[in-house]
Amino acid sequence: MLNIKNLHVAVGGEEIIKGLDLEVGSGELHAVMGPNGSGKSTLGYALAGRDGYEVTDGSVEFDGANLLDLEVEERATAGLFLALQYPVEIPGVNNAYFLRAALNAQRKAKGEEEVDSMGFLKTVREHLKALNMDEALLKRAVNEGFSGGEKKRNEIVQMAVLQPKLAILDETDSGLDIDALKLVAEGVNRLRDENRSFIVITHYQRLLEYLVPDRVHVLSDGRIAESGDRSLAHRLEREGYAFLDTAEA
Amino acid sequence: MSALIEKLLPEADVSDDGSFGALRRKAQKVLMQHGFPQRKTENWKYLPLGLLEKRTFSTAGPLTGPVPAPPEFPFETGIVHMHNGLLDPQRCRLPRGVAITGMLPSDIDASKLDDTSPADAFAWLNLARFDQGWKLRVEGRVEQPLAIVTSCDEDFEAAIHPRLKVELAEGAALTLLEVQHSEAAGLINGVLDLELAPKSSLVHLIDRSFGETALIQRTTARVSDAAEYRAFVLDGGGRLTRQDLMAELDAAGASASISGVAALGGRALVDYHTAIEHLLGRTSSRENFRILADDQAVGVFNGRIHIVPGADDSHSEMNTGNLLLSEDARINTKPELEIHAEDVTASHGATIGQLDDDARFYLRSRGLTDGQAIALLKYGFAAAVFDGMDAGALKEWMLERLEACL
Ligand SMILES: Nc1ncnc2c1ncn2[C@@H]1O[C@H](COP(=O)(O)OP(=O)(O)OP(=O)(O)O)[C@@H](O)[C@H]1O
Ligand SMILES: [Mg+2]
Repeated sequence: MLNIKNLHVAVGGEEIIKGLDLEVGSGELHAVMGPNGSGKSTLGYALAGRDGYEVTDGSVEFDGANLLDLEVEERATAGLFLALQYPVEIPGVNNAYFLRAALNAQRKAKGEEEVDSMGFLKTVREHLKALNMDEALLKRAVNEGFSGGEKKRNEIVQMAVLQPKLAILDETDSGLDIDALKLVAEGVNRLRDENRSFIVITHYQRLLEYLVPDRVHVLSDGRIAESGDRSLAHRLEREGYAFLDTAEA
Repeated sequence: MSALIEKLLPEADVSDDGSFGALRRKAQKVLMQHGFPQRKTENWKYLPLGLLEKRTFSTAGPLTGPVPAPPEFPFETGIVHMHNGLLDPQRCRLPRGVAITGMLPSDIDASKLDDTSPADAFAWLNLARFDQGWKLRVEGRVEQPLAIVTSCDEDFEAAIHPRLKVELAEGAALTLLEVQHSEAAGLINGVLDLELAPKSSLVHLIDRSFGETALIQRTTARVSDAAEYRAFVLDGGGRLTRQDLMAELDAAGASASISGVAALGGRALVDYHTAIEHLLGRTSSRENFRILADDQAVGVFNGRIHIVPGADDSHSEMNTGNLLLSEDARINTKPELEIHAEDVTASHGATIGQLDDDARFYLRSRGLTDGQAIALLKYGFAAAVFDGMDAGALKEWMLERLEACL
C-alpha cells in the first residue's frame, strides 16, 4: 500500500525528516509514536503534499503510484487521508456542504457520478450518530467554534464519508474524553478491512488497546529509531523515550 | 475639471421645460461655480474621474430599436425596466400596492445638497440634466418584490441621469431589487430617494456589475418613526463605480442596516461611501461590508456613522472585512465614527487579510481542487454578509449571484 524509502523532508530550509523508511501493507495498522518535535506531523504533511514541506530525497510509492508526483487533491482522490492534529476552522463554509463538495470532487475526478443530497445526508447523519455528535454540527461552519474533541471527531466523520485507502491519523486521540476515545476507535475499527491501511500517530498506548496495531514505530529526530510489535508501546508507556538516547550513544 | 463640465454640460442653456426650470438653473449655477470633484475634494480622492474626461458622451436619444428583455428571476416579481436611462413602458409590471407617476418639483428636495463645493456635483448634474424622473408610491405590505432593472445597449455611450423616488406610506412594506448590468462605455449618474413613513419597512437589494460603464449613484433613505431600512448589496465590479448610500434616521425607533459585498477583479474600481445619520435618540444601525479584490482591482469602503448631539441611547455597529487576492489589488477601508451623544454604543471591527493557506491546504487535502478551495473560501468570507436576509427564494438567489461573482 505504502512504501517510503529514505525520505528526507525540509521545512523552511531545515531538514526535519532525515532518511525515513516505512512500509505499510494492505489492511495493516501501524502506530507511530515519538517525542514532541520528532517529525511525526511533518511526515503526515509531507505525505499529504502540503506546500512548504519539501521532499529533498527519497521516494514514496502509494498504491502503485509515485505519490510525490501528485498534487494535494490528487493524493486525496488516490485514497490518502490525513486527519490533522489541529483541524482548521473555516468560517462561512457549511460543514455538510463542505463534506459533500469534497466527496463529489473526488468522485468527479474518478469519473463517478455525484452523490444525491438526500442519500448523502442520511449516511452522514449515521456517521455522526455513531460518534455521538450533535447533528447541529452539520449546519455550522467547518470546525468553527467546535470544541477540541468535536474537531477531532469531525475528522473521523470526514474519513468515514471519504472512505480512503490509507488514513493517517495525527494525534486524533489527544484531547478526547474516555468515551469519545472509544467511539473514535470504534469508528476506525469499522473501516478496517484487508484493503485499507492506517497510520496512527499517538502519544498514548491507551488508544492502541482499542486499535490493535500490526506494528509500532518510534520516530526520533526524523528517523524510525525502533520498530516492534504492540509490546513496544507498552515499553514506551513504562520507560518513556530515554532508551533512545542510550541506544544512539 | 472644466473638461468634464464641457463634456457633461455641453451648453450653458438649461432647457426650460417649465416646472423644473428653477431647480435646473440652480444646479447649473452650482456646477459652473464649483465644477466637479478633484482628487483633493473631501471623499473623492480615490475616484479617478480623469477616466470620464477621456470619454466622449453622446446625447441619449429616445428608445427606438427593440428593447432587450429584462433578466428572468426564479421568483415572482414586479418589474420596472429602465433601458438606456428610459422607462420601457411595455415591460412595466407593478405588483399590487405600487403605483408609478412622473416626478413633480415638489418631490425633489435639494436643500441638503452642498452648494458650496464640488462634493455633490454629480447630484447637481443629475438635477440639471435628468430626462425622466419617476416616483413609486407603495401602500400596504406588498408581497411581491419589485425589480428595477437597469440595462444599456451594447454601443451605448451617452451620459444618462436617471432619477427615481420610492415613497413607502405608513405601515407599508416592500422588497426593492435593483438589478444593474451594463458593459458599454456610457455614464449612469443616478439619484434614488427612498422615503420611509412611520412603521414602514424596505428591504433594498442591489445586484450590480458593470464593464466599461461608469456608475455614479447617490441613494438616500429617510427613515422615520419605527421604520426599518435594510440594504444588501452585491457588487461584481465595474470600471468606475461610485455609490453614495445614506440613511437618515429621523425619528425614534428608526433603524437601518447596510450589508454589502464587493467582489472585484480585472481593472475594477469600486468606491462605496456610506453614511448613517442618527438624528434622534433611540435609533439603531448596523453596517457590514466586505471587499474581495483580485488582479488590479481597487475597492474602497468609507463607512460613516454620525450620532448627533442629543441622539442619546442610540446604537450602531460596523464591521468591515477585506480579502486581498493579488499583489496588485488595493483595498481602502475607512470607518468614521462620529459620536456626539450620550448612552450610545458604537462598535467597529475590521480585518484585512489574505486567503488562509492552512484552510486552503485543508480543503485540498479532502479532494477539492485549488480553484474550488479558493472559491469556497471566498464564498465563506463573503456569504456571511447576507446572513441577515430572511431565508427564502430571494436570499438563495442573492447567494447564487454571489457564487457567480467569485
Ligand atoms: N515551518 C517550520 N519552520 C521551521 N521548523 C518547523 C516548521 N514546522 C515544523 N518545524 C519543526 O519541525 C520539528 C518537527 O515538528 P512536528 O510538528 O513534525 O513534530 P511532531 O513529532 O508532530 O511533534 P508533536 O508530538 O509535538 O506533535 C519541530 O522541531 C518543529 O519545530
Ligand atoms: Mg505533531
